[in-house]
Amino acid sequence: MTEQACRECHRIVEGLVCPICGSSSLSKDWAGYIVVIDPRGSEIAAKLGITLPGRYALKVR
Amino acid sequence: MSETSIYVVKTTANQERAVANLVAQVARKEKLDIRAILVPDVLKGYVLVEASAPEIVEQAIQGVPHARSVIKGASSFAEIEHFLTPKPAVVGISEGAIVELISGPFKGEMARVKRVDIAKEEITVELFEAMVPIPITVRGDHVRVLSKEETQR
Repeated sequence: MTEQACRECHRIVEGLVCPICGSSSLSKDWAGYIVVIDPRGSEIAAKLGITLPGRYALKVR
Repeated sequence: MSETSIYVVKTTANQERAVANLVAQVARKEKLDIRAILVPDVLKGYVLVEASAPEIVEQAIQGVPHARSVIKGASSFAEIEHFLTPKPAVVGISEGAIVELISGPFKGEMARVKRVDIAKEEITVELFEAMVPIPITVRGDHVRVLSKEETQR
């Protein structure tokens, strides 16, 4: 199954609802991929406003 | 918080996400100081790793299938910042441009752009081969620009 990304927080989610923001607005059409391990020490995470570790999409349509 | 740099890892084409997942798994397991891993779609065969030292990245890719090598030298955050804000797919497509559809039922057909919707990243085109001009709306990344010439509308 294709992985889906949350349109709200851009997190890659498994299942039908985003476990972080609770949104059910998911999309299979996403591009760019980021794995954040340490959001507090990462400049990339800071720039994107990511505060929780996990897998994210850069762009979600 | 110590300073980090961006290190570039060469991978097998189309295995970038798999490499990113495995490197992240290794980093978590062995508690390596890797902060984030970035896989921009425009950069085929490479993965960008944010870490404090190149040795850490070298260590993390050991034994990871499809991860080939770490490119010598580090990049600054400013150099990769543009990957974080992807351009809309319709950038570079103007009204009147001649495009070729590269996917969908009209794949291979040539068309002229009639309208560009930047917000939806869609363009409306009219096929050259069609008997009657029917506007078709397609996604911006489903076309290849052949000529940017403006029409005399």
